[in-house]
Amino acid sequence: MFKKALLALPVAMAVGAAAQAGEWQDPNDVLQQFLQENPDSAYLHQSEMNIMMMPDNPALWLVDEGEELFYAKRGPNNVSLEGCDFGKGPGELDGAYVELPRYFEDTGKVMDFEMRLVHCMKELQGFTSDDAAVGQRHGNGSDIMKLTTFIAHQSSGMAWNPPLDHPQEQAMRDAGEKLFYRRGGAMDFNCASCHGDVGKQIRASVLPHVGTGPEWSKAVSWPAHRAGHDNVRSQNHRIRGCVWQMRHAGIKADTPVNTALISYWNDQARGEPAILPDLKR
Amino acid sequence: MLGNKTGGAGLVVLASTVLIAGCDGWMGETSGEVDITAMNADELAEYLVLETDSYRFEQEAQEGGSARERMKQDGIQAACSLEGDPDADTAGEVIAMARESYEEPPGGPRLGNWRRGAELARSGYGYRIGHRNDDHGSREPGGNCYACHQMDPAEELYGTLGPSLAGYGATRGNDSSVVNYVHQVVSNPHQYFPCTKMPRFGHNNFLTEEQIAHIMAYLLDPESPVNQ
Repeated sequence: MFKKALLALPVAMAVGAAAQAGEWQDPNDVLQQFLQENPDSAYLHQSEMNIMMMPDNPALWLVDEGEELFYAKRGPNNVSLEGCDFGKGPGELDGAYVELPRYFEDTGKVMDFEMRLVHCMKELQGFTSDDAAVGQRHGNGSDIMKLTTFIAHQSSGMAWNPPLDHPQEQAMRDAGEKLFYRRGGAMDFNCASCHGDVGKQIRASVLPHVGTGPEWSKAVSWPAHRAGHDNVRSQNHRIRGCVWQMRHAGIKADTPVNTALISYWNDQARGEPAILPDLKR
Repeated sequence: MLGNKTGGAGLVVLASTVLIAGCDGWMGETSGEVDITAMNADELAEYLVLETDSYRFEQEAQEGGSARERMKQDGIQAACSLEGDPDADTAGEVIAMARESYEEPPGGPRLGNWRRGAELARSGYGYRIGHRNDDHGSREPGGNCYACHQMDPAEELYGTLGPSLAGYGATRGNDSSVVNYVHQVVSNPHQYFPCTKMPRFGHNNFLTEEQIAHIMAYLLDPESPVNQ
């Protein structure tokens, strides 16, 4: 009995892991699957135009540019980013993006994707904050968004699965949940003011609900080409835009409030496949 | 909090035990000077917001004070930092705080010009900081009512986070009890709707009393398109 249980355990774990991690899928296939399985989601179905454009998502252009940047020897140290460990080992990108944020031994803290990428560009390649390579965070022309789109694309279709094994990972995720509901600023808003109910609209825009897995997976599936901005945007850019609209204080890049919020975001999408890159309104 | 009319500093909830100063590079890469696992989730959230240099706290807020003041919670914000609706005790406390902090405008609530109210109800300008800060010197801030409410039935672009207000005055009239009630709801809505999503437009000094009077006219004036 005891022996049988011991033997069964690794099998169960392996099956569970495979089902959770999933195979790489084209981002449009993931979207189509969400649309078919959730015919009543006003959020998922709100833009016919964007659904039609998805196979020709302009964000896909950044994938190739990001791949070149990733393998190029760059920076004062003239090395590629192949030595960068996003949590699955140096240069291992398959499934890395959907398993962030996570705790990193080498820094002793939980890092979100952008924080980790910037860390590697500084530590391995020798860039400083004054270099445009890491200083410029937003827009299709930025190295950060090209690299982000390439690296995230390697996890498309895989299930969000940020680890919570380390006590710091759990602590940041739990603090992120508190931050999501923490009201403040000139309009008394929290994130749930807009994302706490299903199918609500701000003006014409249907909002994603934090408690509805497929909606939330699409909502946190950045990088995404944002049609209204005509640029590919990141999770961090979405946070910055939300706190700006909420009339909170302006948020800075590479800071732990971002990390905690993203820890909660990605945990709320757990088990749902990611659309990487996505296309949004 | 911003320039609250009644302060409420005594109600500010802070996890003061963890707000230890001197956090350069918060548990940074050189040393783990702060053990985040020693805090509970509420303490860590407060610590992250106020002590980790995550925000541009030095910026000025349009309503006065610094960005940091915006991110400190007052009593109602702290009590309403909830998932879902407040329980009965919390709701009672929030209503009491809202009643205590409500202020009538000098001379009592009144109706202004509904045409001005229509502009203010549509404008989402104002109070944004961090980047591309809103400049109130070049453009007046608005109430952005349409982001959440239907008002003029002929206006197609409206949000649904709040209830429809189409025909609001037509069904209620605009005697003094209605005017007083609507002012209380716009200025400090937690008196009737504890932990509502709606901002405290008067209490937070987000809108002036004159602007609130215009928006109330847009809601209640029989001539207003809202009531056609």
